[in-house]
Amino acid sequence: MKKSSIIGLVAIAIAIAVIIATYSKSSSYSSFAEAKNVKSDIQIIGHLDKQKQMYYDARKDANYFSFYVRDTDKTVCKVILTAPKPQDFERSEQIVLTGHMEGNDFHATKILMKCPSKYKQDQVETTVSAKTSKI
Amino acid sequence: MNTGFNGEHLLPGQLGQLFIILSFTGALLAAICYYFATTEKNQLNNSWQRMGRIAFYINTASVVGIGVCLFYIIYNHLFEYHYAWEHSSKSLPVYYIISSYWEGQEGSFWLWCFWQAVLGNILIWKAKSWERPVMTVVSLSQVLLASMLLGVQIFGARIGSSPFILLREALDLKVSAPIFATRPDLYKNYLTYITDGNGLNPLLQNYWMVIHPPTLFLGFASMVVPFAYAIAGLWQKRYKEWVKPAISYALFAVMVLGTGVIMGSFWAYVSLNFGGFWAWDPVENAALIPWLTLIGGVHVMIVYKNTGHSFFTAMFLVLISFILVLYASFLTRSGVLGNTSVHSFTDEGMFWHLVVDVVLFLAIALVLVIVRWKELPISKKEEDTYSREFWMFVGAVFLALSCLQLVIVTSIPVWNSMFKTNIASPTNAVTLYNVFQAGFAVVVTLLVGTTQFLKYKKTDSTKVWIKAAVYFVLALAITALVVYVSGIYHIRVVFSLVMLGAVFAVLSNIRVLVDAFKGKIKLAGSAVAHIGFGLIMVGAVIAAGTSKVVSINNTGEDYGAAFDQRNDPKENILLYKNRPIKMGDYVVTYVGDSISMPNHYFKVDYKLMSADGKVKEEFMLKPNSQANSKMGLVSSPDTKHYLFHDLYTHVTMAPIRMDDEPQQAGAAHSEADDDKNYDAPVPHEVAIGDTIRFREGFMILTGLDKNAKVENIKLSGNDIAVGAQLKIFSNGRSYDAEPIFMIKDGRGFDFARKVDDAGLKLRFSRVLPDKGKVEITVYQQPESKKTFIVMKAIEFPYINFFWSGTIIMVIGFLLSIFRRNKELKTT
Repeated sequence: MKKSSIIGLVAIAIAIAVIIATYSKSSSYSSFAEAKNVKSDIQIIGHLDKQKQMYYDARKDANYFSFYVRDTDKTVCKVILTAPKPQDFERSEQIVLTGHMEGNDFHATKILMKCPSKYKQDQVETTVSAKTSKI
Repeated sequence: MNTGFNGEHLLPGQLGQLFIILSFTGALLAAICYYFATTEKNQLNNSWQRMGRIAFYINTASVVGIGVCLFYIIYNHLFEYHYAWEHSSKSLPVYYIISSYWEGQEGSFWLWCFWQAVLGNILIWKAKSWERPVMTVVSLSQVLLASMLLGVQIFGARIGSSPFILLREALDLKVSAPIFATRPDLYKNYLTYITDGNGLNPLLQNYWMVIHPPTLFLGFASMVVPFAYAIAGLWQKRYKEWVKPAISYALFAVMVLGTGVIMGSFWAYVSLNFGGFWAWDPVENAALIPWLTLIGGVHVMIVYKNTGHSFFTAMFLVLISFILVLYASFLTRSGVLGNTSVHSFTDEGMFWHLVVDVVLFLAIALVLVIVRWKELPISKKEEDTYSREFWMFVGAVFLALSCLQLVIVTSIPVWNSMFKTNIASPTNAVTLYNVFQAGFAVVVTLLVGTTQFLKYKKTDSTKVWIKAAVYFVLALAITALVVYVSGIYHIRVVFSLVMLGAVFAVLSNIRVLVDAFKGKIKLAGSAVAHIGFGLIMVGAVIAAGTSKVVSINNTGEDYGAAFDQRNDPKENILLYKNRPIKMGDYVVTYVGDSISMPNHYFKVDYKLMSADGKVKEEFMLKPNSQANSKMGLVSSPDTKHYLFHDLYTHVTMAPIRMDDEPQQAGAAHSEADDDKNYDAPVPHEVAIGDTIRFREGFMILTGLDKNAKVENIKLSGNDIAVGAQLKIFSNGRSYDAEPIFMIKDGRGFDFARKVDDAGLKLRFSRVLPDKGKVEITVYQQPESKKTFIVMKAIEFPYINFFWSGTIIMVIGFLLSIFRRNKELKTT
């Protein structure tokens, strides 16, 4: 067999490995109920529960922000983010949370918000991470 | 249809729309003419070619015309046009009008169109015998791009999106302002109510945003040229010849696209607040993907030119690169990315249009390859294992693989919409990308180093291998040192391996460069480009791998054990105005604000302290926020650049007002209300020279001013006004204040003075002549009323390797282009 064919086969093997590795690491969007049974970080799509209180007081702790999110199963859960409250958070429509459950609270490491812009039909999205990304 | 609206300027839009139609038909005509020119049996007959040229010139002129009309509209603030209303405003400086061109999809398509037209003209001028088939492909691509701007209704579907659509056509004004529905007389004059546009997104108001998009789009546009040559080669059965002229264009494309990508990365680093220079955002990936494949393509094209091997790989990579450009444009513009990207791209009804664009060119490439498959000059001979061409081929394969990983992960939303699944993108995408891409980078950089020791065809001198081994050992030693000093060993091993590969690549290419100076000057280009690439890797690994949050802050309130257990470092620090806080090796103080609308700058003073408590260095950083009511609050960092590291600071939270909120009614509220902003007042009886202490400092009564004056109040007869001259020392600063006590018409008044920076209000409340003292009442602001900011600071070590590597790489590409062009002329 030609060497380039061997390399070709190796390439295909790596490609398959990449695909498998990618899909084994990815999951579907989850819910708070499922999150209770999982230790690792998961992603949840939900909406801010505007009836319940948001809490952030920079003077007490600049890195503690809590709020309530209603997920797609209509479960409401308290979410804690170790970062300042993102600006315009109240205006967010949809929130994608990344994090895990600790007791009855969901500890988010990253949140991605979609806010309707005041004038545009377009949606404006922002993301906030508690931790600066590390490689 | 235009009757009945006052004040509209319809001419520039109609002219622009005419140019759009003209550019579309021009491109279509050019494509058809060039097609017949190519298939013409009698190649001496150039009537089709002449017509094709004229049609393309018409297209070029119309594209320029579109640009001029759009500029006229934006420059003259003709807000009856949706594009001007949505992307510009009256206060926008002229140089940002250029940026507002590419804030919208239409403007960026126009930019692409423009560059492709420029490239087409260069090809007409330079391509000679290749002109006909190559221009057929370029014109066809131009047809597709021009159609994106059409904005006309065909069979009930809108084709493309025109930048000249009127505001009242784009939005239903009667819905957004119901008064227009009931009062046609007002609707007629709707323009008088539209006084200003939405303005440009504040993040785009940056000088990098003036030059980054044109560079990027020139890069995208130039990818069509090597593609067109490859198609032309297949079509005209000139399998071997197309590679030579295509190499220069491919080099140009990767040089420009690479520069554009890094410019975008630099823009993100200096003006976005995600805290880094690369975030693997789908939009970044979309630009990187075709770059990787064409870089691979350039290498195997050179292999094919020199040895006749790797024909298929070269052709495949060149073809796929352009398809991936189109695919990238589909990803970022169709709205398919949805939940995964922070960039706000929405579907503007062009989803299927963009799909057609990708599928059409993919089909052309596929069909031609299949039809010509048997004739392709795929070498039956095997490459020697110790030959440069074999390992260059392997390197290209790995570049393609790294690209594949990017495509697969970035496209998750596409798979979701195709297969109706609901897969979330990886929870820790950045780590996933970093690890995978680092793995590929190890192989690629090691190959970049190794192949420099190999020769084409066959290398059999053991001397060469000994040399290579010496360089490798040297690279090992240097890497060990770098890894130890920079602390990369704290992170995954694969990053240390990237460092090894990168150092090896730099060293072995320095050797080539030295040879180049000794006389083999044509080798200089690739050597310089490779050194640049190696440095980029070195910089990226150290800067991203060992960046350190300086503003670690674990002082917060106790929110219960569960919360503390996580032990996550809390990365944001609270700064009260004028109160210094120790942060890492620095003492930082938030000293004030400077506002130049729409920017609100927070002045943060940094003092670098030495071990013995002396100030080694002092500087000021001014991160800013724009409280833009239309876009929300937007923060931009400020960075102190050193030669070997950067200190990056950005404000994560600050209580500031939106730009359209009214000023707080400061003048109107009464004294009693004002006092609520302070703790309970404390009176002090003092004589001249006495000191009054307060929470954050002290003040001295330095004297009494018997001739104090109060504005607008005239004194007469027995009236007196006395000022208490106070010198205040707080947090290392000093202030002067002079509260006044006054007797007028037999009654006592006093006029308080505020020292906002020290959080004080001072009253000269009484005179005590019998004691020889005066009474000064001190009001102090409680913590909760003090202004503060929350900020984050990150240190990026050695990031300058990343930027300087880019510049070096671009120089290398330039040298290579000169060399390949020279070769074209001599052969």
